[in-house]
Amino acid sequence: MIRFRGVSKLYPPDVTALKDVTLSIMPGEFVSIVGQSGTGKTTLAKLIIAEQRPSKGRVIIGDWDITDIRSHEIPILRRQIGVVFQDFKLLPRKTLFENVAFALEVAGASRKKISSVIPQVLKIVGLENKMDRFPREVSGGEQQRAVIARALVHRPKILLADEPTGNLDAINAHDIIELLRKINEFGTTVVLVTHNREIVNMLHKRVITLDQGMVISDQKSGRYIL
Amino acid sequence: MFFLTFYRALRFAFQGFWRNIWLSVVTIIILVLTLFSVSVVAGINVVGREMVKSIENKVDVSVYFFPTVSDSDVESVQYRLESLGSVASVTRVSKEEALAQFKERHKNDPTITESLNELTDNPLGTTLIIKAKKIEDYPLILQVLDDPDYQKLVQNRNFEDNQKIVARLSDISGRIQRGAIALSAMFIIISILIIFNTIRITIYTHREEIGIMKLVGASNWFVRFPFIIESLLYGLIAVAITLILVFPLVQLVSPQLQSFFQGYSFDLAAYFTGHFLMFALMQVALATFLSMASSAVAVGKYLRV
Ligand SMILES: Nc1ncnc2c1ncn2[C@@H]1O[C@H](COP(=O)(O)OP(=O)(O)O)[C@@H](O)[C@H]1O
Ligand SMILES: [Mg+2]
Repeated sequence: MIRFRGVSKLYPPDVTALKDVTLSIMPGEFVSIVGQSGTGKTTLAKLIIAEQRPSKGRVIIGDWDITDIRSHEIPILRRQIGVVFQDFKLLPRKTLFENVAFALEVAGASRKKISSVIPQVLKIVGLENKMDRFPREVSGGEQQRAVIARALVHRPKILLADEPTGNLDAINAHDIIELLRKINEFGTTVVLVTHNREIVNMLHKRVITLDQGMVISDQKSGRYIL
Repeated sequence: MFFLTFYRALRFAFQGFWRNIWLSVVTIIILVLTLFSVSVVAGINVVGREMVKSIENKVDVSVYFFPTVSDSDVESVQYRLESLGSVASVTRVSKEEALAQFKERHKNDPTITESLNELTDNPLGTTLIIKAKKIEDYPLILQVLDDPDYQKLVQNRNFEDNQKIVARLSDISGRIQRGAIALSAMFIIISILIIFNTIRITIYTHREEIGIMKLVGASNWFVRFPFIIESLLYGLIAVAITLILVFPLVQLVSPQLQSFFQGYSFDLAAYFTGHFLMFALMQVALATFLSMASSAVAVGKYLRV
């Protein structure tokens, strides 16, 4: 599903964010990527959605080698990967419903499809009663659930979550992780980037540990080891 | 698909406009200020040009011939002058007309009237009144009269007195034009600074939005289109407001100008109405160019995510 082959990423002039990373994630897996801050976790996530290009090595999503992806193909890639980031990226001038709808509208979905899919995904994340509010009118946890709902509208094969609980308290964080687990049970590959020890230890899923841009451990049912 | 995208872009543009009404208002105010200052400079230019024209119109040079000079000699001088490209018109005042005019002017002066009555012959010669196309051309035109053949014929010419006035007027008209250019330059610099700032505001407010849109898979056009329409909206509203502001101003200034121009008919209000369409179109072009260019720069900068 996701394959990195000898991937390095340099940020000029002299930051090496990733060093010779090779890993592969199978369809339907739930993988946590852990490590201290500044070890290249976000860089790894950005390589998956082609927000950054590798300096060396290849990145392959499904059958698609996106190492040298053309810029007009990037929207197509991104509609297949649901993305959830730490700083809840919702459009501030749109309601929750409109934010979720936007992801479908960019792909040219019909109004009929939009009006049938969105209530469904908002129900999955438990926001069916708040869909006409603006982001500033709901809590952080609810914003993050809206982001997840938006990530789900394309029925993506991959859900990529970079520190989705970073700005949330323990209870909200727990809810979000449960939501991700539920989505994974529907068959979506979930890649969770985090440095939250309790969450990782509670999940009992595969854990890939990064340190200074290198993979230092990859365990089937792992724990947070740093 | 195309109409759906277009419809959505339109809807997003109006949403963006209303939901960010303060930024919309600020942007429109800035555009109005720019358009208004450009309009004022354009107005000053028009008025200045007309003022110079009206002054130039009042200047002429009279050439007085000796009473003994024959009509055919005068005619040949007149013909020579009229053949010059820089001469607008040459009017001939015959001896009789000159005398009549002289008498008319001095009818309240008994000594002059009496002494004139004592004369049997007309003491005045024919006069040619020369109008040049441009005020700077007088010295060159009058050089023709320095021709030795003509010098014998010409008794006097009022250019030497006029010369000082003409020099002063050329100087004033030059100054008006230089002033207008300096003022225009100043306003253009101010406008550029303002526009630059608008771009920065636009970048600041849209930076994050554009990144998010791209992250959920929006193509560049899907991101760009609503912003373009939104800025078009700013431009059109700004033009409407500017026209509403300029119109009463013109009505107010026009009568003042008319009394100032005295004798030279120049109606700014009529000029404005006459050129209204062109004026409005130029404003629309300028406003949409400014707002669209600034948002294009702002959006383009963040499209490469
Ligand atoms: N766009 C960038 N330009 C330059 N350096 C960057 C950029 N993004 C990240 N870095 C650097 O790369 C390293 C890894 O960053 P990141 O991938 O964000 O780590 P993490 O997500 O694990 O905290 C850090 O040293 C960071 O400062
Ligand atoms: Mg990070």
